[in-house]
Amino acid sequence: MTRERGDILKDLMDGVFLMNEELVIKAANEIVAAGYDAYDAINNGLIAGMNQAGVLFDKEEYFVPELLICSDAMYAGIEILRPHLKVGDARVKHKVVIGVVEGDTHDIGKNLVKIMMDAAGFEVHDLGRNVPLASFVEKAKEVGAELICLSTLMTTTMDGMATVIEMLKEEGIRDAHKVIIGGGPISQAFANKIGADGYADNAAGAIRVANSLLAKVAA
Amino acid sequence: MNEKERLLSTLGGRHADRAPFICPGGMMNMAVTELMDAAESSWPEAHSDPEKMARLTLAANRLGGIENTGVPFCMTVEAEAMGAQVSLGSRGNEPRVTEYAIGRLDEIARLRPIDPGKGRAKVCADAIRILKKEAPETPVIANLTGPVSLASSLIDPLVFYKGLITDSQKAHKLMELVTENLIRFGDALAEAGADVICIADPSASGEILGKKAFAEFAIPYINILVNYFREEHGIPSIVHICGDVRCLGSLLSEIASESISVDAMVSINTLKELAPAKVSMGNVSTYLLEKGAPDDITKHGERCLRIGVDILAPACGISPITPVVNIKGLSRAALEVHTPVAL
Repeated sequence: MTRERGDILKDLMDGVFLMNEELVIKAANEIVAAGYDAYDAINNGLIAGMNQAGVLFDKEEYFVPELLICSDAMYAGIEILRPHLKVGDARVKHKVVIGVVEGDTHDIGKNLVKIMMDAAGFEVHDLGRNVPLASFVEKAKEVGAELICLSTLMTTTMDGMATVIEMLKEEGIRDAHKVIIGGGPISQAFANKIGADGYADNAAGAIRVANSLLAKVAA
Repeated sequence: MNEKERLLSTLGGRHADRAPFICPGGMMNMAVTELMDAAESSWPEAHSDPEKMARLTLAANRLGGIENTGVPFCMTVEAEAMGAQVSLGSRGNEPRVTEYAIGRLDEIARLRPIDPGKGRAKVCADAIRILKKEAPETPVIANLTGPVSLASSLIDPLVFYKGLITDSQKAHKLMELVTENLIRFGDALAEAGADVICIADPSASGEILGKKAFAEFAIPYINILVNYFREEHGIPSIVHICGDVRCLGSLLSEIASESISVDAMVSINTLKELAPAKVSMGNVSTYLLEKGAPDDITKHGERCLRIGVDILAPACGISPITPVVNIKGLSRAALEVHTPVAL
């Protein structure tokens, strides 16, 4: 017997933010079996759940381990639903290039931002960690990214962020890409100093900053 | 008072003529390229040669005014000995893990025990023996990688962090194994003559783990270590906690080490409120140390001392391109402000 769409969406959402991957898998399969819309289920079920997890992270009720488990549950559901998306479902997404700057391998913060950006509907190109500075510029040009997100946890590698901005200037494409920076030693003052467009002190903040910068571009 | 007496008195909560200025080593890096040139001992070679390791840390003491020596200069000795692949980095970049030893929490049987008679573990112990001979009045700090940081150097941190919730029993098994191995390595360093143990556990900040997981997975294992070294070797410990410790609240005072060192965003007053019985250590911004003018650094150090910090130290590892004149700027603050240690 087929359950109501709303009940299954609730399971998808709860499964993600209550870290219950099995519930997510069961509900995603139920969506497919009932022939409900996969795009709707991803957006109003899985991603809604991830956003709720993000709110709890913001409120310091969830921490890194919890957020990682929620995101695994979200991705497990997306895996099941993706083959059932209809052709017209793919909207144009805002493109982001993200990575940890050269010399630094601490990528937990960057991974969290990536997860939240996926959930917020961005097309995320993740360059990983210890990324050569020129690669940010190359990748941003290649995919036409509107946003470049740079992360570092170390004071020794902070200056690499300024170098990326200089490279964009030298190529005459500074205005084409908004740059957001973040990580342990980074501050708004440092962002101002090196001429970054935005600074975020956590993953949820990065989404807010990204959206507000894109809104300015659109205006 | 010589440097060793001053630091040990301060850590013991006894009177000292003034607050010491230290930079432990390990994650709390003290080595800068200018000192590498002066000592003719550069990274990466100094990571695997006891003579060079000793010479470089001695240069930090003699030329930089840092009132200790310390080994190693990285957080990869233990992970490498247990099976992780490590790149020793370059002159300006510290060593790092390039490949984890295991992929899943149920593979811990594949981890090797640390053999302190081999490899870079032996290099560290040999370097300490040289330092004890060369500079007997300077305290030698043995730096151990914090247990959570070592665990997450052996297995992908993302897998490890999730395991804390989804598979907590196996996560504890890994933590127990890691702690046993840190004791084995620490024994060798203590027997070689280390005067103080410093444990930095950057992967276990309160901001990453949250209070509950910090209480369950960080504190118990850190405390096994510091209690062991106090009871078995009579050696005091410093524990450095990264990030904003305010999210840990009073949990901070449950750490059993003699001293707690904090990051730059935490005020010394906050540290003293949260952990009143601990010898406070910190917390000069390493960004200021690298970029600031020597006089400003001196003034900042003096401010820390006037607030009542018991041990003056950088808030994190210093950048390898920090000028020596800046480090000496901080040293001057400790030399000039004669506030007796008040506990």
